[in-house]
Amino acid sequence: MSGEQIHRLNCYVENKPGVLARIVGLISGRGYNIQTLNVGPTEDGTVSRMKIDVLGTAKVIEQIMLQLRNQVNVIEVTSRRK
Amino acid sequence: MNQNEKRTGAQALVDSLVKSGVEVLFGYPGGQALDIFNCLPDAKLLFVLGRHEQGCVHMADGYARSTGKPGVCLVTSGPGATNTVTGLATANIDGIPLVVITGQVPMDLIGTDAFQEADTTGVTRAVSKHNFLVHSADEIPEIVAQAFYIATHGKPGPVVIDIPKNCQQAMTSAQYPERVSLRAYHPESAATSSQLSRFARMINDAKRPVIYAGGGVIASGAAKDVAALAHKAGIPVATTLMGLGSFDEHDPLSLRMAGMHGTPAANWAMNEADLIIALGVRFSDRVTGKISKYAPQAKIVHVDCDPASIGKNVSVALGIVADVKDVLTTVASRVKAASHPEWIAKIDGWKKSRPVSWKQLHPGVIMPQAVIEAVDKATDGRAVVVTDVGQHQMWAAQHFRYSIPRHFLTSGGMGTMGFGIPAAIGAAFARPDHKTVAICGDGGAQMTFEEVVCAVEHKLPVTFVIVNNGCLGMVRQWQELFYKKNYSGSILTVKGRPRNEHLEQDLDYDYLPDFVKLAEAHGAEAYRVIDPAKLDATIAKAVKSNKTTVVEVIVEPRANVYPMIPAGKPVSEMVFD
Repeated sequence: MSGEQIHRLNCYVENKPGVLARIVGLISGRGYNIQTLNVGPTEDGTVSRMKIDVLGTAKVIEQIMLQLRNQVNVIEVTSRRK
Repeated sequence: MNQNEKRTGAQALVDSLVKSGVEVLFGYPGGQALDIFNCLPDAKLLFVLGRHEQGCVHMADGYARSTGKPGVCLVTSGPGATNTVTGLATANIDGIPLVVITGQVPMDLIGTDAFQEADTTGVTRAVSKHNFLVHSADEIPEIVAQAFYIATHGKPGPVVIDIPKNCQQAMTSAQYPERVSLRAYHPESAATSSQLSRFARMINDAKRPVIYAGGGVIASGAAKDVAALAHKAGIPVATTLMGLGSFDEHDPLSLRMAGMHGTPAANWAMNEADLIIALGVRFSDRVTGKISKYAPQAKIVHVDCDPASIGKNVSVALGIVADVKDVLTTVASRVKAASHPEWIAKIDGWKKSRPVSWKQLHPGVIMPQAVIEAVDKATDGRAVVVTDVGQHQMWAAQHFRYSIPRHFLTSGGMGTMGFGIPAAIGAAFARPDHKTVAICGDGGAQMTFEEVVCAVEHKLPVTFVIVNNGCLGMVRQWQELFYKKNYSGSILTVKGRPRNEHLEQDLDYDYLPDFVKLAEAHGAEAYRVIDPAKLDATIAKAVKSNKTTVVEVIVEPRANVYPMIPAGKPVSEMVFD
């Protein structure tokens, strides 16, 4: 599809069981493939940081970001083109 | 309860439900929920035993849709939990607040393929707003409070709480929290002052405005505010299927329902509008048709509490993430009184040239649309109407005139057959002040008919109207129009089936079941109507009965739902009968 680019989503989430599955499911359930996924702790042990690379158009990425922000355990999401 | 006193996790759950304001709990027991069920007889809430977990969730859903209060449902692990999936998906897409509690095998058995074990949080993740797996009895009061908060704040939705049996049995002194604090979830959002000024200016400048009101208007309790804006600024109002009842359809400014089976006036008005004021809608493909041709002349203002729904399907000139009622109450004072005589005259012309109507196909055969009109007449337009899914659902949307919010309950987004009967039961528990009438097809009625028992047991004066055309009408209609009349899988009578379905043509019945016998076996009062002359009187008699009644109406099998804009087509391709 034209206009598709790899975007890096930076996602700060509560460090709880099930949160990773929810976020990955939200992206993969829409038919988008995660290229790279990196999850690790932050200085605050109750918060995890996820770095997710996804291929998609700007519009698709924006919709994914909005849906991620709607999640109960998501604290902050930003994105940039890679 | 004393701070130091301990109770079981199951008792803490039931106490927390009562604290959360639960008055009616729908459910079905099983091994991993027994400790919770053990506490119910002493709790200050009514327990309603459904007959299938799907039915229980739809009952809770009907309760929620008809009141705005969250519906609550309790089931066991494994199959009990997986049977809730359809009900959860139905509530999730329509934004209906539910709290569904599922039993789970003890923590030390999770992952061992134990008896009646299913990964409930895994299975329900994609069909719920949020879910919890409880890890300790101490978490239960807090999680229950959070679940009710999440279900009812932001865009409402279903929340699942999965509770392993050992957590139900463990002792805890945890207390129900005074208030809920969620670290990451803060859905409240308000319009900025500049957004409100711009919104008001756009309304004041518009020559051909249309309000397009959806389920969000009803969820927000903003029906009166929509009417106030429409009347002050002279703006006609179209609604979505989910928005029926948000604006009085007897009002001269009402365009009634828009979309695939909406009125020509509503669809043409949106097509020619220069401003669409979209309130609590999500621009479903069933409304927009071909997206690139949707409302080509209009600037769109979209007000919704869900940031993800704004700009998702259509581009908007102004998107406001806020509660619809809050926005309308502030914008009202900035809007100038207006009327748009030319615009209204044009719309009135469309209403006259293409009114909501139907034609008799064969003399002596009841037309399904007449059934809906009979229900409207018999209940003075004030019934809580609950539908199943299919042709009858669209006829119910078209031929009953809605005037009250929360009086039209339907599975809009998911289109779940089997929703009608249990959802009507849930509504009847919640709204004893009004007559509840379920309108079902013969297909959907067979999916959840078992729940009629529950209505009879509780002496609910619900009327279940079964519009029986001997086929899965909407499927049949699409096959007639788009699949060269190849009626594969859609015919419920013996006659007219394709050869591969291998039915002997000389069977001594044409179709089953006999709904009157079925209803009587469930303890309901039952009627069958075949003669058009007896339709109104029978419906009126059933509706006035103080018993649970089932009316089977044998209707014209060939009737189709018109007008129709075929899926993915623009308004210009609207088809009439």
